[in-house]
Amino acid sequence: MYVEIRGLTFRYKNAAEDTIQDFTLDIRKGEIIGILGESGSGKTTILRLIAGLEIPSRGSVRIDGRTMVDGNTFLPPERRGIGMVFQDYALFPHMTVEANIKFGLHRMDGARRNERLEEVLRLVNLAEYKRRYPHELSGGQQQRVALARALAPEPSLLLLDEPFSNLDRDLQQRIRDELKVILKGAGITSIFVTHDRDDSRALADRVVILRGGRMVEIGDPAEVLR
Amino acid sequence: MRVLEIKRLYTSVNIWGVLSWVFVLLILLPNANILVNVFSEPNENWDHIKEYLLRQYISNTVLVTSLSGLFAAVIGTSLAWVVSVYDFPLRGFLKWGLVLPLAIPPYIAAYTYNGMLNYTGVLQTFLRNSLNIYIDQRYVDIMSLQGAVFIFTLFLYPYVYTITKAFLEKQSSSLIENARVLGRSPLEVFLFVILPVSRAAIVGGTTLVMLEVLNDYGVVKYFGITTFSTAIFQTWFGMGDVDSAIKLAAMLMLLVFAITMSERALRGRRRFSYTTTKARPISRIRLKGLGAVLASGYTFMIFSLGFLIPTLQLIHWALQTYRRVLGLKFLELTLNSLLMALGSAALIVCMAVVIANYSRISETVIARTNARVTIVGYSIPGAVIAIGVIVVFVALDNHLYWLYRLIDPDTPKLVLTTSLVMLMFAYTIRFIAIAVNSVESGFEKVGKKFFEASRTLGMNVTRTFFKVDLRMIQPALLSGFLLVFVDIMKELPLTLILRPFNFDTLATKSFQYAHDEMIHEAAISSLIIILVSFASIYFFHRVADKEER
Ligand SMILES: Nc1ncnc2c1ncn2[C@@H]1O[C@H](COP(=O)(O)OP(=O)(O)OP(=O)(O)O)[C@@H](O)[C@H]1O
Ligand SMILES: [Mg+2]
Repeated sequence: MYVEIRGLTFRYKNAAEDTIQDFTLDIRKGEIIGILGESGSGKTTILRLIAGLEIPSRGSVRIDGRTMVDGNTFLPPERRGIGMVFQDYALFPHMTVEANIKFGLHRMDGARRNERLEEVLRLVNLAEYKRRYPHELSGGQQQRVALARALAPEPSLLLLDEPFSNLDRDLQQRIRDELKVILKGAGITSIFVTHDRDDSRALADRVVILRGGRMVEIGDPAEVLR
Repeated sequence: MRVLEIKRLYTSVNIWGVLSWVFVLLILLPNANILVNVFSEPNENWDHIKEYLLRQYISNTVLVTSLSGLFAAVIGTSLAWVVSVYDFPLRGFLKWGLVLPLAIPPYIAAYTYNGMLNYTGVLQTFLRNSLNIYIDQRYVDIMSLQGAVFIFTLFLYPYVYTITKAFLEKQSSSLIENARVLGRSPLEVFLFVILPVSRAAIVGGTTLVMLEVLNDYGVVKYFGITTFSTAIFQTWFGMGDVDSAIKLAAMLMLLVFAITMSERALRGRRRFSYTTTKARPISRIRLKGLGAVLASGYTFMIFSLGFLIPTLQLIHWALQTYRRVLGLKFLELTLNSLLMALGSAALIVCMAVVIANYSRISETVIARTNARVTIVGYSIPGAVIAIGVIVVFVALDNHLYWLYRLIDPDTPKLVLTTSLVMLMFAYTIRFIAIAVNSVESGFEKVGKKFFEASRTLGMNVTRTFFKVDLRMIQPALLSGFLLVFVDIMKELPLTLILRPFNFDTLATKSFQYAHDEMIHEAAISSLIIILVSFASIYFFHRVADKEER
C-alpha cells in the first residue's frame, strides 16, 4: 500500500485517556480519504500525528515504503514531505501570496521555483493575486492560497483539516467541487477531515468514521453514509 | 514508550535547548553561590555583626519595606478605586498621570525632596523670607526612616495602582453593578466587594513595591539608613569582610523568598490575570459638588507630590545650572548611559528570545521551568546580585589568568572584573525576566499555527524562527527592548557598584552630585532619565490604552 498507518495511539499530556486509540488505515495512491467525526473526536489529532506535529506513543506511519514514525524512528515534519492545509489556513500575514507559496519551495532553484508558482496559481485560479497579502483576499481565496501553498512542494500526501469550515454555504459547495477536480487532476493522495456528511459524500473515495478517538467504520461513502 | 521519550528529548535538545540552558545556568550561578553561604562557617567579624549590628539591619529593613508596602497599598488601591468607579474633573488626565511617579526613580526623588525641604530649600526660604516663619528642623527632616518610607510610598505606589486598576476595569463591572442593584452604597461596595475580589491584584502590586524597596540602594544610602543593602557594602568595602557581606546578602535573599512565598499564600487561588474576552467597562458614577472636589483634590495632590512638584523643581534647578553642567563630560555620560542601555537591552532581548522560543517549541516541563527560573533574577535585590557577580568574576579571572598572560605578559590579574562585561552580566540577571515575559506574551498572541505550517512546508525550527516567528513577534520584541532599556537607564545600585573605574552614567553621576551636596547640579541628568521613563510610560499606558479601544 502507498500509505500504511498501523496502530497509531496517542494521548495529550494531562489527558486522562488516549485521545487516539489504535488507528490503522491503508491508502492507495491517488485515493481521497474523508475522516468524519464529531467535534472533539480526534480528527485534527490524527492529521497532526501523520504530519509529525505530535509524537505517537505507539504505532507507525509509512509512506511509499519510507518510515515516517515507528518505535525507532521519528522524522520531524520538515523532512516528511507531507503537505497540510490548516483549519484556519495559517497563511503568513507578513508575506504576499507569492511569498507564501514560494515558502515551501526553498530547495528548488529560482527558475524552477517561479515556474512552479505559476503552475499552482493557475491550478487554483489565482494568477492575478500573487502580489496581494492574505488580509486582502476573501475567505475562499485564502483557502485556495493555502491549498496552493501546500500543493506547491509536490507532497507525497496532502492533509486537509476542515477545508470548508470557514466558508459560507454556497462557496463551500463550489470549492468542494473545485477541490475534487484539482486533487484528482493532480493525482494527489489526500486525507481530509470534516464533520459534514455532504462533504464526505461529494469528495471522498472512502470514508472513515471516528468516534472518541477510535475508528468505528470505514468504507464506501455511499454505504457508510446511508 | 521509552525510545520515543528519548527521541522527544533528542528532537528538543538542539541548539536552542543548549543555549537556553547555558543562559539560565549563568543566571543562576551567582545567586546560588550566595545562597549556599547561609550555612557557611562564620568568622569572628560575623559574631560582632550579629551581636551589635544585625538587629538594626533587620529592623530597619523590615520597617522600611513593610511600611512602604502598606502605605503604597492603601494609596494605590484607593486611587484605583476612585479612578475606576467615579467620574470627576480631570479624571481623563489623572487616570494616566497617576502612573507618572514611576518615571522618577526613588533615589532622584530622595535628593529632590531633600533639596526642596532642607534649610536652603524653596519651602523654608519662602516661609522665612515672606512669612518670617522659622520651622523646627526636626519636622522637615526627610533624611530619616520616615522620610524613606514617604519617598518609597509616593514613587512606587503606581505598581499597586496600575495592576489594581486594570483588574477593576476588566473584571468587576458586573460585580459592582450587581452589588449596587442590591442597594449597597459605593463605600460598602468598595469594602465588601472590591477589596476582597481584587485582593490578588493588590497583593501582587504590593509585592512589587516591597521588592523594589529591598532592591533600593540609592535612597537608603543617601538618607544614611542602615538596611541590608547598605550594610552589605559597608561590611565589604568598609570592614573588608567579604564572607560576612555574602552572609548578609544570603539573608536578604531569604527575606525576598519569604516575601514572594507569602505573596503566593496571600493571593489565594485567584490569579490577577484577566479573562481574555472583553469585559464590559464599568459605568462610572459622576461626582458633583463636594464629592467631585474631594476626588479631584485627592488624586491631584498625589499627582503633584509624586510627579509635578519634583519635576518642576528639577527643571528650575536645571535652568540654574545648565551652563556649569553641560559640556563634553556630560555628553560622555549621556552616551555611556545610552550605549550601555542599548547594548545590554539588545543582548538581553536576544537571550530572552532563545529561552522563550525553546520553552515554546519543546513543550517539556524542563524547558518551561527554564523560562520561569529567569523570574528569580528580577526579585533579587541589586546588592545581592552585585556581590554574587563580583565573586564569580573574580574567580573567573583567577582561572583565566594563564590565558591573559599568554596574550599579554604584563596583564593585570583582574580583566573581566574591571570591564563592562561584568555590569552587563548583572543587568542580564536582573532584567531578563522582563524581556522573557514580553517575548512569551508575543509568542502566545501569535500561537503555534504559523510555526507548524512552516514546518510542514519543509523548514526546520531554526529557519522557521528567522523566516516566520521573528517577524511575527516584532512588536513584543520592541516592547521588551524598550522596557529593559528604560530600566537600565534608571538603574542605580548595580551600575554604581559594578561599573569600571571612571565609568559614569547619568544615573551614577546624578547620585554622585547629590551625595556631594551638589543637588542642583544633579538636575539635568535626572531630568533626562525622567524624560526617558516618561516616554516609555506614555507609550505603554497611553498609546496601548488607546489602541485597545
Ligand atoms: N493541545 C491539547 N492538549 C490537550 N488536549 C487536547 C489538545 N488538543 C486537543 N485536545 C483534546 O483531544 C481531543 C481531540 O481533539 P481534536 O482537536 O483532534 O478534535 P477534532 O475532532 O479535530 O475536533 P473539531 O471538530 O472540534 O476540530 C479533544 O477531546 C480535545 O479536547
Ligand atoms: Mg479539529
